[in-house]
Amino acid sequence: MKKFLGYTGLVMLLVPLQTTLLPHVAIWDIKPDLGLVVAALVGVLAGELHGLIVGLAIGWILNLYSAGDLWLNLVTTGGAGLFAGLLARQVAEITPTILAVGLLFLSLAGGLVAVLNMKSATMADTWWMIQFVVVPQALFDTAVGAGLLWFLEQRFAVPRFGMLDRYS
Amino acid sequence: MWMVNVRSPHGARRLALGMFALLLAALLLFPGQSQGLLDYLDGPVGQLVRLPLEAVSSLDQGISAMWQQYVSLQHVADENRRLKQEMDWLRGEINQLREAGSATQRLTSLLQFKEQALPAMVAAQVIGRDSSNRYRSVILNKGESDGIQKDMGVITPAGVVGRVVKTTGATAVVLLLTDPNNAIAGLIQRTRDEGIVEGVPQGRAKLKYIPMLSALKEGDRVVTSGLVGGFPRGLAIGTITAIDREEGALFQTAELAPEVDLNRVEEVLVIQAPQSQSADQTARPDPGTKR
Repeated sequence: MKKFLGYTGLVMLLVPLQTTLLPHVAIWDIKPDLGLVVAALVGVLAGELHGLIVGLAIGWILNLYSAGDLWLNLVTTGGAGLFAGLLARQVAEITPTILAVGLLFLSLAGGLVAVLNMKSATMADTWWMIQFVVVPQALFDTAVGAGLLWFLEQRFAVPRFGMLDRYS
Repeated sequence: MWMVNVRSPHGARRLALGMFALLLAALLLFPGQSQGLLDYLDGPVGQLVRLPLEAVSSLDQGISAMWQQYVSLQHVADENRRLKQEMDWLRGEINQLREAGSATQRLTSLLQFKEQALPAMVAAQVIGRDSSNRYRSVILNKGESDGIQKDMGVITPAGVVGRVVKTTGATAVVLLLTDPNNAIAGLIQRTRDEGIVEGVPQGRAKLKYIPMLSALKEGDRVVTSGLVGGFPRGLAIGTITAIDREEGALFQTAELAPEVDLNRVEEVLVIQAPQSQSADQTARPDPGTKR
């Protein structure tokens, strides 16, 4: 119950953060996708099932405040939580660097799926979006995710989230 | 009976993968039904999320207002804001007068004007931007409970902002004019040639499907044609900044500079009932009033 309330609070807090506050820190109109970062972090720290469920909830609720397709948000954010959890099982210790590499991969994959799904985009538009939206956002997500993990390590003095910390 | 032990890593993995596969299958095989199920839940969840969203938004606006009024020269900022508002009104008025003049010339022989009612509008505040980077949209603090529905046009006194694409009970998402997924029927005010205004990924707009024989030039103003729902005729969309005439093409394309600064829009008007499509008179919007 405590965990459920924690996740609910987290998801609800993400909406104003992502839609109201993050546009102020956007660089060249690009802001990080906190939903994806949080879903991936939950997947890494709590396992793929939690990652998937929290990712789906984040994808659905953030989609209420986006012009995008629902299925795309569900699949990319839920998928990020699931795959982050699955990938984390293959790693003995989660360090900010490892998380950064995983997030880069997940964000690029999600961004590419979304851009390639755009119906009215020409080849030039697609290429422009990849260069100036997908790649910068993936880098931004990577930096924010690694920064968040580093902060959690410092704040809660958790040494590198070893396998036992995560699944015990 | 087969059961999954979610505490074991393998059980959790199987369950997660199964759920994901099921979700994918549901979304691909029954897109309408799965979307409908979630749409049903959107209303109550939207009302719940409205609280933190509005709290953070009013805090954000408060800080912005304080910064503008007290830190960056109070009187200059006030005067500047007043003048900008006045300029927006005057721009809108000039545009409407131009449109009215043009219509008068064409219709003097007909003289069959029909009394037109002003469109009903709802004033709303922008409380956020699209949660992703891939779409250009803004979030309004009014939704279905205020009478806002999908496909309604959104304007400021200066011109067109976009179109409502999504609503919850308490909020609405407006796809901006500059988004590539948006299309609005436009009309070159001087030549009366029609086309479709679409956004481009770089954040501007273009007027497509202009006839090759059209004598448009840079600086021409583009207004709504009123041919498709959402907007009455004659609302300013933008000014032509460049023209693309390709050899052998069937149509011309023109780049537009939008009339409204869409990065700074704070208050908007949602057109609830657009004028009849044959309307030749334009209405002056009245912000802050709900008619």
